[in-house]
This record gives sequence, structure tokens and C-alpha cells, in this order.
Amino acid sequence: MSEPILRLDSVTKTFGGLHAVDEVSFRMFPGEIVGLIGPNGAGKTTLFNLISGYFPPTRGRIFFKDREITGNPPYVLAEQGIGRTFQVVKPFPGLTVLENVIIAAFCRHPRRADAESQAWKILEFTGLADRAGQSAASLTLPGRKRLEISKALALEPSLLLLDEVVAGLNPTEADRTIELILKLRESGISILIVEHIMRVIMNISDRIVVLSFGRRIAGGTPAEVARNPEVIQAYLGEEAA
Amino acid sequence: MRSKKILFLILLPAVLLGLPLVISDAFILRIVTEMFMWIGLAITWDVMAGYTGYLNFGHGAFFGIGAYTTAILMMRGGWAFAATIPVAGLVAGIGAFLAGLPTLRLRGSYFAIATWALSLAIQQLALVLDITGGPDGMRMPPFLNPHFFYYLMLIVVAATFFLLWHLLERAPFGLKLKAIREDESGAMALGINPTKIKMQAFILSAFPAGILGGVYAYWITFIDPASVLSDLITDQAMVMAVFGGLGTLIGPVIGAVLIFCFKTYFWAYLSDYQVLYLIILGAVIALTVVFLPDGLWGTITGRLEGRRALRKGLELRPDPTPSNPKGDKAHV
Repeated sequence: MSEPILRLDSVTKTFGGLHAVDEVSFRMFPGEIVGLIGPNGAGKTTLFNLISGYFPPTRGRIFFKDREITGNPPYVLAEQGIGRTFQVVKPFPGLTVLENVIIAAFCRHPRRADAESQAWKILEFTGLADRAGQSAASLTLPGRKRLEISKALALEPSLLLLDEVVAGLNPTEADRTIELILKLRESGISILIVEHIMRVIMNISDRIVVLSFGRRIAGGTPAEVARNPEVIQAYLGEEAA
Repeated sequence: MRSKKILFLILLPAVLLGLPLVISDAFILRIVTEMFMWIGLAITWDVMAGYTGYLNFGHGAFFGIGAYTTAILMMRGGWAFAATIPVAGLVAGIGAFLAGLPTLRLRGSYFAIATWALSLAIQQLALVLDITGGPDGMRMPPFLNPHFFYYLMLIVVAATFFLLWHLLERAPFGLKLKAIREDESGAMALGINPTKIKMQAFILSAFPAGILGGVYAYWITFIDPASVLSDLITDQAMVMAVFGGLGTLIGPVIGAVLIFCFKTYFWAYLSDYQVLYLIILGAVIALTVVFLPDGLWGTITGRLEGRRALRKGLELRPDPTPSNPKGDKAHV
């Protein structure tokens, strides 16, 4: 396989005495979809915040395309090619859907007209084009999650971090989002995805990394992970294993 | 609609340019000149407040710094007035840079308090320094040409308006500022460096304010800390911008015209009740914030940006991103 696009070497993040992420290492290769799962409080979102630069790790190093990015702020990482969505969506509610995406598109297209035409392309791709003129505040939850993906895509990232973009959607909407994610992979984007819905994660991930209490307890193909006794124990408790 | 707009764009400059030729009354010219100045102060205040969501309670200090720069250069350095004007803007801009280093790390009400305190410190400084003349202020050689100051103020304010209009409504810069206003940590994920953009906005709002101060000093010929460094300068610009509509350029212009006309009428005819003016100003801002948070223009056009700016600018518990384990959840 080629060079890893993302590499974490024993990354640790502590908040006071709490080890939110504890000695986590893994690699991702170009074009892969890697699922990140774990019970509530396992440190999935913290790990996202570390990779996207919202927190510096307490210890350990992070590499992106063979360049060390440990401690780089989010806006530098966005320029380098890491796009992310937020579990609690962050639209700019006072602006229109189109403006929201244009702002992200400035990252690659400094001229307003270019950014605008890029934003339109993205909105057509994600199916929000007919709502481009609405204020972002008027979107429903599925719309907001789509907007969140649209903004991350407007950065034209090579690595996309998706934080629970399917949770909270009804089955039809969920299927549309999964379709969208698979299309993105086809276009060559590597995707790291956090999701609680097992059906989704098992179906689309090439590989899965399992976190529990901040530690990486398992990794492998969906089938391997599903059979792993430690994973079953983490999710269902001692006796089920 | 379009032809109406074009007609307006031709008529307005024609009226403004022709006014001094028709009206010979120096009193009226003086009032209109000062109105231009307030329009300039209100729109520059709105760069930080309405577009970025940072309520700068020390905006008047930039005006005062500009006024003192012109006065000091002319009186102590023997400079020509024209040469002092760009320097007045520059010094105010540098002041914004230095003030921004510590204060732009603060958010919500803390930024408001810090800028207010800094402006008071500058006023105190002007009171004790020798070069500023202390409490006695500075006197400049009178240049009594109302037409000159009318056109100068008009040019400065019109140039400021078009510069801001281009940067905030046409160029990417305006949308980046709004992204910061709407969600600062979310904006970071999109490649926006908030510290850099906020600093640019702060300097952009200070530079023209400094120039206005410089023009004002030479026009009025006498400045002292109680006049050009008074809280009232910030307060009035603020009421004008909030009342007119934050996050727009037209709003503060409308607000400045209305409030300034009211003020002039009040001081001309009811000067015995001057203290009432401040009470009314306070009431106007309180009522606007509560009942008309988008301001006049925002309410008319249905833009809800004023309330977004106020919400961010007045926040008591701004999002403490780095210390919160789930930083992205702090917005719920």
C-alpha cells in the first residue's frame, strides 16, 4: 500500500487527571473509509479535535501526508487539506446556505466569483442547491447536517473527518447521506467517520478502530471487530462477552 | 427598481456636492459637516460591532488619537495640515494594533469592558502629558473656511463608505468577518484565522476614525481631553449604529442622520435641558436593544444580523474552547 495519509503515534490528551485519549496510534491510507467507534465518552470527539487541531495533544505526534502536523491550528490544517464536520452542527445561522459554503470555498478560491461558482457546484452535489438562498437557521436537522458536509467539502480536502453525520436522520435521509459518503470516497477523498449507528459503520467502513475509555482496544475489518470479545465487552458489559 | 437606484446614485452626490453652493448659511453647513463626521464614526464602529460581533467601547479613543496627532504635528512639529492627515489615520491604526493584541483575545462583554478601560486610560494620559497640553488642551490657528471643511469631511466619509462597502459587501473579507461573528470556532475549521482577520478589522475601523479626528481638530481649532477623548463620542456612534441597524452600512448612516438631527434640534432649542439628552440617548439604546435588535434598517429589510451581532457582543459567558473537553459542544 502507498504512504499513509494520516498517522497517529501514541497520541494522548489529558484534561486534568482524565485521560480522554490515551496512547492511541493508527494509520489511514488514501481512499480508505475508516470508522471510529466506541461507547459514549470513549474519546472519539476528542480524537477528532486533536486531528483537526482544536486541541494540541498532551503527548504523541500526528502526521498528515508525511508532514508532522502536531499542534497546527485548525485553519492551517484546513488549508493543508483536512476538512471536518461537527457533531453539534455549526452553521452560520444569520447567513444564507450559499454564503455559508462560499466562506469555506474562499480557502481554495480567494476570488469571490470563483468561490461562489465552486459553492454552487458543491450544493448541487450535496442536494442543497434549491435551498441556497435560505438562511441557514431555517434548515431542518438533516439539512444542517448536509450543510455541514458541504462546508467541509468546499475546502476540497483530501482527508474528511465526519462526526455523526448520520445520527438523528430518518432511514431515507440516512441512506442518502451514506450514498453521498460513498461517492466522496470514489472521488478519492479519505474519510474518517464517527458514528453510533452500527448498520452504517459496518457497511461503509473498510476498517474500524475501536476506542474505549480513551484507549484503542481493537482494530481491523468490520467483521473482525464485530467478533472481538473486548469490543463486545466494552459495548455490552462483562457478562455478554 | 434598478433605474430608481441609478437615479438615487446620481442625485445624492449631486445634492451633497451642490449643497454649499445653494446654502450660504454657515450654521447649516456646519451641522451637515458634523453629520458627515458622525456617519463616518458610526459606520467605522459597525465594522467591529455589526460585522465582527465585537462591541468596541473605546472607538472614540481612535478619533481622539487622530485629533491629537494632527494638533501635535501642526503645533509642535510645524507640519502642514494636509501632511498630518494620513499620519493621524496611521497612528490610530497603530493604536488599534497595539490595543488589539491583548483585547482581541477577549470575547463578548469582556472585550467591551477592556476597550472601554483602555479608552479611559488614553484620556488620562492626554490629561497628564505635556505634549498634549494636559487639561488645557491645544489650540490651532483658525482656518475659517466652512466650504473647505464641508468638502473635506464629505470626501473622507464618502471614501470610507465606499472602501467599507467594497471590503465588507463585495470582497471576501466581509463574509469572513461575518463567519467570525456567527461562530468563531466553526470559522476556524474553514481555514479562517480569526486572530488575523479580527486584527485587520480593528485596524480598518480605527484608521478612518483617526483621520476624522484629525480633520475635526483643525476644523474646531481647539481640542482637549474632555472633548475629543470623551466617552460620549463612542456612545453616540454606538447609539447611531445600533439604532440604524448593525451589520449593514446603510443602517448606521440612517441612524447617524436621525440621531444627529435630533441632537442638533435638542441642543439648539432645549439647551436648558442638556442632561435630558443623555437620558434620552440611554433610553434609545436600551429600547432598541430590547425591542428593535436589528435596528431600523435591519427590521425594514428583514436582515437579522443586528441581533446576531448584539448576542455575540454582549455575551457574558463566551465559549471557552480550549479548556472544554468537548469544545464543539459548548455552543448548545
